[in-house]
Amino acid sequence: MSQPTAVLGVIGSDCHAVGNKIIEFALSQAGIHVVNLGVMVSQDEFIDAAIETGAQAILVSSIYGHGEIDCNGLRGRCMERGLDHIVLYVGGNLVIGKREFGEVEHLFKEMGYDRVFPPTVDLSNVAQCLKQDIAAAA
Amino acid sequence: MEFDKKLENKRLPLDAFMAERNEVLQAWPTGQDVDFEEGVRTQQALPESKRFSAALARAERDGKTLIQPRAGVALVDEHIGLLRYLEPACDLLPTTIDAYTRLNQYDKAAEGIERSAAAGTSLLNGFPAVNHGLAECRRVVESLKKPVQVRHGTPDARLLAEITLAAGFSAYEGGGISYNIPYAKKVPLERSIRHWQYCDRLVGLYEEHGVRINREPFGPLSGTLVPPFVSHSVAILEGLLALEQGCRCITLGYGQAGNMVQDIAAIRSLRELGDEFFRAAGYHDFQLTTVFHQWMGGFPENESMAYGVIGWGSAMAALAGATKVIVKTPHEAAGIPTREANKQGLDCTAQVLNMVREQGFPPSPVVEREIEIIKREVRAVLAKVFELGQGDAALGAVRAFEAGVLDVPFAPAACNAGKLMPVRDNEGAVRVFEPGRVPLPADVLDYHRERVAERARAEGREPVFQMVVDDIYAISKSRLIGRPR
Repeated sequence: MSQPTAVLGVIGSDCHAVGNKIIEFALSQAGIHVVNLGVMVSQDEFIDAAIETGAQAILVSSIYGHGEIDCNGLRGRCMERGLDHIVLYVGGNLVIGKREFGEVEHLFKEMGYDRVFPPTVDLSNVAQCLKQDIAAAA
Repeated sequence: MEFDKKLENKRLPLDAFMAERNEVLQAWPTGQDVDFEEGVRTQQALPESKRFSAALARAERDGKTLIQPRAGVALVDEHIGLLRYLEPACDLLPTTIDAYTRLNQYDKAAEGIERSAAAGTSLLNGFPAVNHGLAECRRVVESLKKPVQVRHGTPDARLLAEITLAAGFSAYEGGGISYNIPYAKKVPLERSIRHWQYCDRLVGLYEEHGVRINREPFGPLSGTLVPPFVSHSVAILEGLLALEQGCRCITLGYGQAGNMVQDIAAIRSLRELGDEFFRAAGYHDFQLTTVFHQWMGGFPENESMAYGVIGWGSAMAALAGATKVIVKTPHEAAGIPTREANKQGLDCTAQVLNMVREQGFPPSPVVEREIEIIKREVRAVLAKVFELGQGDAALGAVRAFEAGVLDVPFAPAACNAGKLMPVRDNEGAVRVFEPGRVPLPADVLDYHRERVAERARAEGREPVFQMVVDDIYAISKSRLIGRPR
């Protein structure tokens, strides 16, 4: 199987750049081809990049608290653009305020994300899940 | 709009400023309500206890470190409630602006206000002051007893400044460099510096009318292993740009690195360098103060551990003699805190400040040496900035970022080179491991390399990017230095 490709970016008006650079580094080391769009990425920019590069996954980060507004609707837009089986991950500090992670996970899974990660997740686990999910979706 | 004239560090002519002002006030309907003369009257009517510059002057005189939180929510009454709740636990109040407003996306902020009202809780990470407009912003100031500052991260903060200053906010954070490089992706540096010349000119106009507004360049930048000389160089440049436009009350900032000697040396050198460069540029009638930001990087999830980080930062702010300290909360690892958690951070800070207050850090050759190193670094970098700008600070700043002479680690802006790589030394001080194109004196660079090599030997590994990543996560995992596991 060829190297899996994932589009990576920080969604919306969020400028948190540090974790983004580290995720790129860690996933690349784990053998994933990362197309990193950096910070302040719109939903359409994620989808455009996924179509252009033939990526099997979109990895959305949100740190600044506007995740509930910014992340909603991405699954629907992917379907509209023909990305029917793309793997969607989201992670970070996704909501305003300290809330039970289980509650946050449920909220974002309802939005259509396949996996939801807290900011403390071990990135090698993310890489492993990603390879499995991409293989399963193929 | 684009500008006809080349960027230069010269006071904007009043007629050009007024012409630009007409456009600025039309960018969103709430701009129409702003009247400068009325703003001056509002500011003049503030009692001294609500003036930021007066509180800073008093703190300087008394040798006290003032406490300030960050706080902002979507709706006005909730925002007032939040600030009133925090007010007894701090000296200075903030109004933190939401991320949509910071990017002038007022339509998105409007959606955030609507959705927050419907949800019964704030879905925005700050207070959308432009959408709420002059009268509502004035109501915020009127509802409080202490001075209020606008804290944000806005590359084009002209309309926000017009509205909030006319409403009685008496301090304004930011700058053309410090609110671009860590906060934007594609905004040209010339443009943000020019937009901040407008903000500074507006503050200068208030000053001409007898109203002193405090200006605070944002010290911590990316908040991630920023060597003191990098943030000091930017802070001093922004101080010079603000002074030229007529600002007279300047607070220079620095984000805690975590090593005691380096943090104390950083605040002391920042004050002395600010004074040195401002006077050398011909300014003498300024009020200079400093702000120490508690650790701006990743926090431990465990709240008791987070209090440890907050307490250590408070001790450093007091020992370094900073005029004020910006406070974190036990919820930092999870993002925006509840008001209770916010107050707990303030209480923790107050306890430590009160205990350390009468203690000075004893005269120390180690601190003195660190101060000298920082000063030599800043002088070397700024000399190159002025050379590139042919003596002009604004032009020099733009060219220095283009050339990688000014380079902020882990910043999102495309106009930042990102070649300088920092790492901690064996005692946790932030050192330069890869200088990129930053012109540090050869012996200073050797010193950095020796200190990094010492750590590398102690850990039996080469100083590669993994070491930097380990340092970035170290504090959230209960250590200062990212040692191999």
